[in-house]
Amino acid sequence: MLITDLKYPEQLGQQLDKQLYVADEELLTSLFLLLKLNKPLLLEGPPGVGKTEAALVLSQWLNVPLIRLQCYEGLDINAAVYEWNYQKQLLGIRMQEGTSLSAAEKEQKIFSEDYLLKRPLLQAITEKEFSPVLLIDELDRSDEEFEAFLLELLSAFQITIPELGTIKAEFKPYVILTSNRTRELSDALKRRCLYHWIDYPALEKEMAIVKKRLPQIEQSLLEEVVKHVQLFRQQKLNKIPGISETIDWAESLMALGHRTLSQKAIDQTLGAILKSSEDIELIRQTVAETN
Amino acid sequence: MQKVQKFQTSSLTESIVAFSQFVRAHGLNVGIQETQDALLASKLGIMGNRQIFRQALKSLFCNSPEEMLLFDQLFVLYWETNSIDLKSRKGEVNIQGSFNKKANSSVVMLGVGKSENQIEEEAKNVSGANEVERLKKTDLSLLSVMDASQLEEIAKKFCKQMAARLRRRKKQSRTKGLIHMRRTIRKSIATGGEPVSLLYNLKKPKKQRLIVFLDISGSMDKYSFFLLRFICALKEHFRQLEAFVFSTSLKRISKGMQSRQLDTVLKNITDNLDHWSSGTRIGECLQTFNDQFGKRMLNGSPTVLVLSDGLDTGDVELLGNALQKIHAKSKRIIWLNPLKGMKDYKPLARGMQAAMPSIDDFRSAHNLESLLELENLLLHA
Repeated sequence: MLITDLKYPEQLGQQLDKQLYVADEELLTSLFLLLKLNKPLLLEGPPGVGKTEAALVLSQWLNVPLIRLQCYEGLDINAAVYEWNYQKQLLGIRMQEGTSLSAAEKEQKIFSEDYLLKRPLLQAITEKEFSPVLLIDELDRSDEEFEAFLLELLSAFQITIPELGTIKAEFKPYVILTSNRTRELSDALKRRCLYHWIDYPALEKEMAIVKKRLPQIEQSLLEEVVKHVQLFRQQKLNKIPGISETIDWAESLMALGHRTLSQKAIDQTLGAILKSSEDIELIRQTVAETN
Repeated sequence: MQKVQKFQTSSLTESIVAFSQFVRAHGLNVGIQETQDALLASKLGIMGNRQIFRQALKSLFCNSPEEMLLFDQLFVLYWETNSIDLKSRKGEVNIQGSFNKKANSSVVMLGVGKSENQIEEEAKNVSGANEVERLKKTDLSLLSVMDASQLEEIAKKFCKQMAARLRRRKKQSRTKGLIHMRRTIRKSIATGGEPVSLLYNLKKPKKQRLIVFLDISGSMDKYSFFLLRFICALKEHFRQLEAFVFSTSLKRISKGMQSRQLDTVLKNITDNLDHWSSGTRIGECLQTFNDQFGKRMLNGSPTVLVLSDGLDTGDVELLGNALQKIHAKSKRIIWLNPLKGMKDYKPLARGMQAAMPSIDDFRSAHNLESLLELENLLLHA
């Protein structure tokens, strides 16, 4: 199925379903608009609710490469957009020594595309045959200055390199940005994007997701696991478990051969879902009280 | 701010354009670009389904979960209101909305109404080389109305200088960093590829983040206005400044501080507060901060500044615990207490005692001079 054949968000849902991704209607509408209007999509939400996964399954369905840029504090233009290949440039100057090229020509040569190292963002707009999916992951971890670099890319799909000029995308990438909201992103950036907030799923949806990923799980165990996780999320935990943790937990329970969520099973596997000693202690107490 | 509603328009295009004006009037950041995108989306043929239509517009028009909630209300209001149900409705308060620019916000909470003669006398007793020096040393709670406006002028000037100094010093303390390959190679072309002169990357100044809590309870009345002004001055330097005011409840004022006009800022903030001069529950407020904003704002070890007299009427143990939690995640906590300016002051108030173990710097903040001294402390923040 091609993008041009897509008429309704539900059709997209069926396609993503085949890729083992369960999305609700709102997310599907946002993804649908991302594909149709070619506007970047900003996905926000707590960790582990499937933001990155959305980009992954989209690229799998479209059968195009996923170009991923993981953001971190101190990420700069050299690591994200492009860098000159300095070693090659130094050698290049040496090799030009005997030639009769003028200084201006020499300069032009060593600042040509041959000497350019493409980093993810530049790579994403120089694809020659198809539109790739570009994932800019955890943007809130980068510095504010870095957001400014993105503005040109996100609105005009072009990148300007002073020595080379402006490079414009022939095939516009489908851009998905994710953020955990550890800080507020700038308004300028948000205005260029579609927006969707993914929250922790409700009971039925989470069960459907786990079932999708672990088809061989028994219904009773599935229900118990998901119900417990939903209860955990209501506690005041340091780190609230996401869907990926639910899947991990269910998987570890299955690997250990547990068919019900007994006290022993919980004791053995709590580390798969809770990631701090205080949280584990707190949940142990509440579980012991309810039993 | 009554806008056209759905039933008053005749075509879908017109309805969508009017809707974007409608939501803009109610505080969503929707411009021409968004409207245009909405029209493009309407041509995709998915708008027959009301649910999808709503979600599509939501995705285009909203920028945060809070806006999404507001959008849902506005959507119903616009698309599902009939002319019969219509009553005149007031537009919601918009932070950057219209306001009376001339409004003088400076008398909001100064010691108006106290026996002025007595206060003035005490204030005059402070001796100094000249008027400016005298005012700088005068305890803020002892100012007369006359002096207040004068001090405000001085404060404006000094705060501005301080902000400029903080910025400048940072630049001068930069040292040589890594070699800047790009510029070095470019320069070496002239010498046949021999990198004769090396060019350096300047070291990036370390990001400084600051979180400020200002106590606006009754006991702080005399000070809170000047301290608010002081926070605005800090904002000039610390671009990533988050400010909160608290008394019985906590309120984030960072958004209201975005305007460059100081008077606008003060007006914005005071207008949106309904608990000036009430009691103090520091512990609960800090707890609220931890729950709501802690994860988002306490990463990367910011410096935390608390401006309060520590006269807590709430749960003292809660205060100790909450502050300890903040302390664990911040670079340091500076507590400014106006009462410390008094002779023989000892932090004996229950709240202050509970807080002391988590405080790295305990300072006074009773007059302009003591505030300006903070400059050196923050320079290395």
